[in-house]
Amino acid sequence: MKEYIKMVVVLTVIATVCGFLLATVRYSTEERIVEQVLLYVQGPAVNKVLSSSTNDLIQDRQEIRIQDQEHLVFVGERNDQPWAIAFESSAGGYGGDIGVLVGFDIEQDLITGIGILTHSETPGLGARVTESTFTDNFNNKTLNVNFNVKQDGGFVDAVTGATISSRAVCLAVRKSLELYPEIKKEIVKQ
Amino acid sequence: MVKAKSISKEFFKGFWEILPPFRLVLGLCPMLAVTKYVENGLGMGIATTFVLFFSNIIISSIKSVIPKKVRIASYIVIIATFVVIVELVMQAFFYSLFEKLGIFIPLIVVNCIILGRAEAFASKNPIHLSAADGLGIGLGFTMSLFLISAIREILGAGTFLGMHIMWGSYEPFAFMIEAPGAFICLGLLLAMMNLVPTKLNGAN
Amino acid sequence: MEYIVLAINAILVQNILLAQYLGNCPFMGVSKKMETATGMGLAVLFVMTFATCITWFFQHYFLIPMHIEYLQTIVFIVVIAALVQLVEMFLKKLIPPLFRSLGIFLPLITTNCAILGVAVLCIRKDLGFMDSLFFAVFSGIGFLLAIVVFAGLRERFEISFIPKALQDTSIALVTAGLMALAFYGFVGIDGSLKALTMN
Repeated sequence: MKEYIKMVVVLTVIATVCGFLLATVRYSTEERIVEQVLLYVQGPAVNKVLSSSTNDLIQDRQEIRIQDQEHLVFVGERNDQPWAIAFESSAGGYGGDIGVLVGFDIEQDLITGIGILTHSETPGLGARVTESTFTDNFNNKTLNVNFNVKQDGGFVDAVTGATISSRAVCLAVRKSLELYPEIKKEIVKQ
Repeated sequence: MVKAKSISKEFFKGFWEILPPFRLVLGLCPMLAVTKYVENGLGMGIATTFVLFFSNIIISSIKSVIPKKVRIASYIVIIATFVVIVELVMQAFFYSLFEKLGIFIPLIVVNCIILGRAEAFASKNPIHLSAADGLGIGLGFTMSLFLISAIREILGAGTFLGMHIMWGSYEPFAFMIEAPGAFICLGLLLAMMNLVPTKLNGAN
Repeated sequence: MEYIVLAINAILVQNILLAQYLGNCPFMGVSKKMETATGMGLAVLFVMTFATCITWFFQHYFLIPMHIEYLQTIVFIVVIAALVQLVEMFLKKLIPPLFRSLGIFLPLITTNCAILGVAVLCIRKDLGFMDSLFFAVFSGIGFLLAIVVFAGLRERFEISFIPKALQDTSIALVTAGLMALAFYGFVGIDGSLKALTMN
């Protein structure tokens, strides 16, 4: 009996100490990990769509609440003035949701460009929406054009053999257009 | 045989006498999986050394309180704690390496070398010797990882730490980067080690 | 059809031992005799299936709701260790013949990285429950297939001439490399099958 009590006590003490230690390490690294993930996962796309900014884009990110939904917004600054914003929008593709980062020039109300953040499309087919030959379709477009693939009456050249994936990207961009005025209002207010 | 155990002896044995995985055939999975490139191999070696060093120290210092029946469970919890610490720190400070090593970071916990040293050495020896043993074996393991990954990267990709070092017309021997190359490379290295008698370093 | 592709992928193309390098310690350690290799393979298949299901539930109904995903490694390995103990006890009481054939391998399985590896892979690949279950079963079959074939080859070593330096683990590794090369020939099959099913 005494042996059992000792076993339980020792194991409990070890588990508690380990748990406490891990919670401490977790607490002190949490912020950096979030930043690293942003830097490596979103960073390349953010830098591309907000390319001529002079500030640290990842550091200056903001969380903006619109209709009870948090949106992570990257703000690009030139001469200490915000000139462009970028945020994520998504739509269902062939293999799952495609996450698209859309950049907006808030001075001239233009789309600066898009970058694909996450997707699970077929390699060699749908996955080619990540290539610049496709994403360049969206560079420097005014907001009133028809963001649709050519088959649907729009101006976007769909990736050959991957119309579903191309449509999903267009849909994601159109969704972001709906959010854009509200997010812009919040950013300009500051 | 000399009975007295010294720190230096426990430290240096990991480099030759029981150099993992050649003399001590344990820890083969990381040895094969993360040695495509030198960067990955070194990162894995250092992470394993960290876990081995600290788990040896902790296990050695609390060995008298742990009841025999639950010792393996206690060792596993302690080792896993250090593995999670490595995971978090690597994610925070070396994110690209963390991505490259992927699933093999959590798998350090089941690297037989670590549990093996805990059971065979740390649970029977004082703290300073266990620390020396952990550090020595860990660095020996790192050395082996470095050697294999250097051979595989230089032959298989023509690069070393990402820099091109082979002559311009060198056609990379891509076989070495793939799984079959890993097995064969390790097998042939082991054969070469077998040619050299263990006693060669018998000076000490 | 989807599961057939998954099976071919997990057993032949991405064989857990020969392409993913998981579980190589027992692969080298207990493959000298056909009987022990079969025993080990079956024990791995058995525990892997159970462990993947249970860790999947732990991940989705305990770690994620509590926001402590970072404790995954420690929770999984403790769950697997406990599971192995339980399986051992149950087999001993309920199915003694099975225990006699698999029993000695069970303690070794806790530190078999294939088990933890497959459990973690299912989470990282974001697989659903059924997909995880099938992935674990097929990976286990892949393990069994590779270790049995390998043991068959290794038994021949006893009657072959092998240079002294190459004996034992060394020649085993080279053989495993040649086997991996043979399995390498399956690369692409799963892709073409997938393309076929799409059309």
